[in-house]
Amino acid sequence: MIDSLYGAADWSAITPLVIVAVTALVVLLMDLLLGKRVGRYGAIILGSLGLILAGVVAAGGYGLHQTLFGGAFVLDGFTVLFEEVVIIGALGSLVLFGAIGREDRVAGATALLLWSATGAMLLAGAGTLLTIFLGIELLSLALYCLCGLAPRATAREAALKYLLLSSTASGFLLYGMALLFGATGSVTLSAFAAPMLAASPLFWAGIAFFFVGIAFKLSLVPFHTWAPDVFQGAPLPVTAFMSVVTKAGVLAVLARVAYSALPPQAASALLLPLWVVAGISMVVGNVGMLAQTDLKRLIGYSGVAQVGYILVALAGTTAFGLRAAIYYLFAYTLMNLGAFAVAAVLSGDGEEGTQLAGYRGLGHRRPLLAAAMTFFLLALAGLPPTAGFLGKILILSAGVASGYLWLDALLIIGTAISLYGYAKVIGAMYARDEHRSPTTPRPVVPLAWASIALCALALLLLTFHPFASSVLP
Amino acid sequence: MSGALSAPIANYVALSGILFFLGVTGVLLRRNPLIMLMSIELMFNAANLLLVAFARLWTQNVGQIFAFLSITVAAAEAAIGLAIVVVVFRSARHVDVDETNLMKG
Repeated sequence: MIDSLYGAADWSAITPLVIVAVTALVVLLMDLLLGKRVGRYGAIILGSLGLILAGVVAAGGYGLHQTLFGGAFVLDGFTVLFEEVVIIGALGSLVLFGAIGREDRVAGATALLLWSATGAMLLAGAGTLLTIFLGIELLSLALYCLCGLAPRATAREAALKYLLLSSTASGFLLYGMALLFGATGSVTLSAFAAPMLAASPLFWAGIAFFFVGIAFKLSLVPFHTWAPDVFQGAPLPVTAFMSVVTKAGVLAVLARVAYSALPPQAASALLLPLWVVAGISMVVGNVGMLAQTDLKRLIGYSGVAQVGYILVALAGTTAFGLRAAIYYLFAYTLMNLGAFAVAAVLSGDGEEGTQLAGYRGLGHRRPLLAAAMTFFLLALAGLPPTAGFLGKILILSAGVASGYLWLDALLIIGTAISLYGYAKVIGAMYARDEHRSPTTPRPVVPLAWASIALCALALLLLTFHPFASSVLP
Repeated sequence: MSGALSAPIANYVALSGILFFLGVTGVLLRRNPLIMLMSIELMFNAANLLLVAFARLWTQNVGQIFAFLSITVAAAEAAIGLAIVVVVFRSARHVDVDETNLMKG
């Protein structure tokens, strides 16, 4: 029966999602049947292979432009690129689980992580409100469990906070969707571009609730307070995953709605509050970052601002802006994963190396590690030799081209504030510090080192390869 | 049958608006995670009511399907939510969000 409804093109479009979801089941099954015999690396290797396979299959869909499952899933270059970001983010976090995760929990964590990534990949191609809701909930439900995985009180607290606040956001999102359905009689995003909707109060109310939910999930400024707490409490690999994959998935939805699902004459008025919020986020996130003493909290605040940067690129809803946003998202993914991989190398048994006090004098104890961290922090700050700088230039020029100069000004102010925060960490790493005895060297964590090397290499490639003009849609 | 609602659509919108407002108020004012979860369910149900009413108005069954989907998701969310509340309670012996404050700043 199903075959008569949907053809081979439909199923092949969601093959990457199916691969990732099924890999999670295989990982669980393998853990059940083989248990300890495969050890901690079995689940990681299998999960990584599944993700890589999904990435390769997804790349095959590049260049297509199809609407599938009656509009529920859209496959185009945009979808493929966001799927790849999600896969890279999931892969990077999975490797960190292999490096520092607890042995008895690795299989379960891998499965949850893969399902969460499936949700984010669904968001990349979501074409109806139903698929958006399903994707966001799949992404979030798995993450609630992942947050509470570490055996610490702060992890449990993070899980509870994330659960309550994120569910509330889902409530707003769903209510907005119900209003949008009421205004249009359709759940397909392309139906929302009908010009007559610009006069419908239900539609405006629906978009307002929808954006409140999205802003919550993206941790934009009035709704950002949960992010630093949850980021700090969650286990390190989960924090890395949240800081990258959640943002990529939700940004994909936001970009698709902003670009193609609003009535043209009302679009700029409907979207304006979002850009204002993005502008405030860039300042508040970077100011909040300055006082932090924990790397995960610092990244939490910096993430608030980084999402703001990406939104600046989207503000004009131009094709160039979308390119700039995707470019910056790729760079942001890599620098975040790299920074977390450094923290993973510094982690001891049962203690994560995220306390910034522990980075003092690192440049003298472990020069290579400190150099890598400096590189990633410079990229986050957006200084010249890195992809972060090129990304910011692209975003600024997108802002100029679309006339959002005030957003550009806020971006520059935010960046200037953030420089102080990042420079403080870098300065501490290279400070002479005789009081602190050198920490005992840990057994080498090859997985985390591999992750650092790959992230740095990819960031360099991104800087020097004309990726933005050749690959992006 | 087609599109015949037993009351004007405005009544459904108003009722769901009240339910949603009650839900938001509950999340904001109550400090017990169980009550907060219930309030979130109320927000979801407000949306479900809207979906079903509009499905009838537009004679589009997709609204009803959406409502079923969201009921299922809400059930999954409640299952995970209660599990997390139990885990927090086991270790802390209290469930009050004002006292789960190890992280600040």
